[in-house]
Amino acid sequence: MACLVEMSKVSKSFGGSKAVDGVSLRLMPGAVHALMGENGAGKSTLMKILAGVHQPDAGDLFRDGQKVSFETPREALEAGISTVFQELSLLANLTIAENMFLGREPVTRFGTVDRKRIRRETRKALAVLGLELNPDTLVSELSIAERQFVEIAHGIKADASVFILDEPTAALNAADVEIMNAQIRRLRAEGKAVVYISHRMDEIFGICDTVTVLKDGKLIATRHLSGMTPDSLIAMMVGRELQDLFPPRGQSSSEAVLALEDFRIDPGSKPLSLHVNKGEIVALAGLEGQGQQQLLRSLAGMYHLSTGTASITGKALPLPAPKAAGIRQLQARKVGFVPEDRKEEGLFLGLSIVDNIAIGLSSVHAELSIAHDYQQKIAETISSMNIKASGASSPVGALSGGNQQKVLLGRYLVAGLDMLLIEEPTRGVDIGAKTEIYKLLRRFANNGGAVLVLSRETIELIGLCDRIYVVHGKTIVAELPAKTATEHQILNAALSA
Amino acid sequence: MLPMLLAIGIAVFLGIRTDQFLGSENIFNLIAQAMPLIITAIGQMFVVLVGGLDLSVGSLISFTTAILALDAPGYVTIPAVFLFAALIGISNGLVITRLNVHPIIATLAMQYVILGITRILRPVSGGTVPDIVIDSIAGSFLGIPMPVFWGLLVILVAWKLLHGSRFGLHLFAIGGGVANSTPDAARNFGVADKRNILLAYVACSCFAALAGVFLAGRIVSGDPNVGLLFELDAITAVAVGGTQLSGGIGSLQGTVIGALVLALLSNGMNLTNVSPFIQTAIKGGLLLLVVGLQTRKKIGL
Repeated sequence: MACLVEMSKVSKSFGGSKAVDGVSLRLMPGAVHALMGENGAGKSTLMKILAGVHQPDAGDLFRDGQKVSFETPREALEAGISTVFQELSLLANLTIAENMFLGREPVTRFGTVDRKRIRRETRKALAVLGLELNPDTLVSELSIAERQFVEIAHGIKADASVFILDEPTAALNAADVEIMNAQIRRLRAEGKAVVYISHRMDEIFGICDTVTVLKDGKLIATRHLSGMTPDSLIAMMVGRELQDLFPPRGQSSSEAVLALEDFRIDPGSKPLSLHVNKGEIVALAGLEGQGQQQLLRSLAGMYHLSTGTASITGKALPLPAPKAAGIRQLQARKVGFVPEDRKEEGLFLGLSIVDNIAIGLSSVHAELSIAHDYQQKIAETISSMNIKASGASSPVGALSGGNQQKVLLGRYLVAGLDMLLIEEPTRGVDIGAKTEIYKLLRRFANNGGAVLVLSRETIELIGLCDRIYVVHGKTIVAELPAKTATEHQILNAALSA
Repeated sequence: MLPMLLAIGIAVFLGIRTDQFLGSENIFNLIAQAMPLIITAIGQMFVVLVGGLDLSVGSLISFTTAILALDAPGYVTIPAVFLFAALIGISNGLVITRLNVHPIIATLAMQYVILGITRILRPVSGGTVPDIVIDSIAGSFLGIPMPVFWGLLVILVAWKLLHGSRFGLHLFAIGGGVANSTPDAARNFGVADKRNILLAYVACSCFAALAGVFLAGRIVSGDPNVGLLFELDAITAVAVGGTQLSGGIGSLQGTVIGALVLALLSNGMNLTNVSPFIQTAIKGGLLLLVVGLQTRKKIGL
């Protein structure tokens, strides 16, 4: 059978890192093709190339055997490739019908948009999916599930034969998942090709025919699902070499620095409890977007739906933490929060290294107190952290990613804190800097500090930490000692929850 | 809905409080008074819909009256006015979409450029405008004063552009994307966003020029200060009319009603002898209040 779409040896880099590296993929009519891989394996990037959002650096796309290239999502849609992304792309201030026809509205002979026709055709496309929505409803009034169905209807109306669904069920409740799966089966029965990205094993085995596994942007294999088990699929997704990057683990005491009891990330999620002891590095592991970040951010007052009790060295931390003063409240209890995005949320890129570190020392003092000269202390920090720069006064924006990350970390290490909450300690950082950051964090712990860290890289958490909490579905589903934990175990704990 | 009630409320209040208000002379006078603001506000709405702003409309109105009062025949000056307006709109649009200058800064700069040129052309008010302009405003047709027809025509043209064409729908789409921090959304649907934003600024300038022609007909001369602070009145009218300043949400009838509310307010304050200085302060307060009550305040682009 001829394939509808073929991607041949496609590569794409962002900055220095290869997100997709020579991946080939063939989509057959009447088949649901699962795309699997760990966080950051390149699934979404690969699909965005197919959808015309990104352009590949190398490799070719073939549509029905013809070589094609898509500059925009519109061109991809016109070639019959329809995409439902996690982040929805409909315009909420327009009606369903207007969204369906935006960019190529039919006009009457007076030059006005032919609203009768777009209403009629929208109703027809929605009816194909068995939906009875009024085409004049504003998209902002639809539920997330309905918006996704509208996007699928958009593809049906454009006569697409390839549908890309990027975690369509992540935000849906059980009943909507059933409807979604029925729609996917219908598309398959009509001879369309469906690409299905999901982390839910039961869905993968329930509706998919073939699976392609990616790891670190590379193709591992494409298999028929009939010959696979969840276990063998997970085994394909993991199995990286444990590199000798990590410092030896230390001695942790039993004195708790942070303790959460009866803590709910959302009012509707299951309660969890968690503790981090002095001298300990503890990880929040799991698949992306399962609530790890909300958990950490709710302590810093950046996420507001959490309830429960939290205490830091025995003293209660009021929840939800106030939005404006959450960070200061943590600071007063000698806890630092290191945000994920160092460029947007962490560093002052235009200011010098000195200023960026000094703010960690100054911020504990009153607003109008005299600013001390921390030159000496900062110079020591820069040399002890091995920050490579032309000088202490050079702007942070000019440093490499690894050195920027070290400056960010240095701000919190120099402030004499008891605990650090860290998101993605080594995002976009090269191997050498990673090792140094691991050593710095371990040294902080060995000196009596406590660290709670989350990362997309499970391997990093296993190597760096003492204990691992596996987070899935906005609660903790397992606790493992890092010494004996494997990626397989963690993925299994997350997926079988 | 709320601005509509507000307008009716003010009208009823004035009808009871003052004798002159309900006289047909005052009503027609009110329409003529409100017309430049209605026209300018409708134009302003085009750029607000895409998440922009145009502060240069006030200067452009003064500039238009100055051109019309030049010693030249009407068949030269009237087309020239709209040609200049289109050029100003294109230049605003290019600076905003191609050079990525924030619309407030881009149009503020343009406001000063036009103001300077206007003062060179006509340092103080004076000159005469072509008879055809004066007649088209002062006269009446079938017993109905001309400004009523101006109003109908302008609303018809604006309705066609905003709610009866692909252009209008695309403006809503672009603004919706901007307001939701997904400025690429409309482009991903195949909408030519930069070109449409530019055309919105051209439309805004052309409506302002039309308001300038109307004003020139009313004051029968050129005046470098006649458009002073008009941009703020126009923005206030748009905001009162329920258009979201971050873009994407708004309606023509809302803007017309918003402009009427403002005109009624001035008319009423004039009838009740409120000092013009206090009137300005009240309008500023109204703008702050209306925008403060909007849920999304971010100005786009």
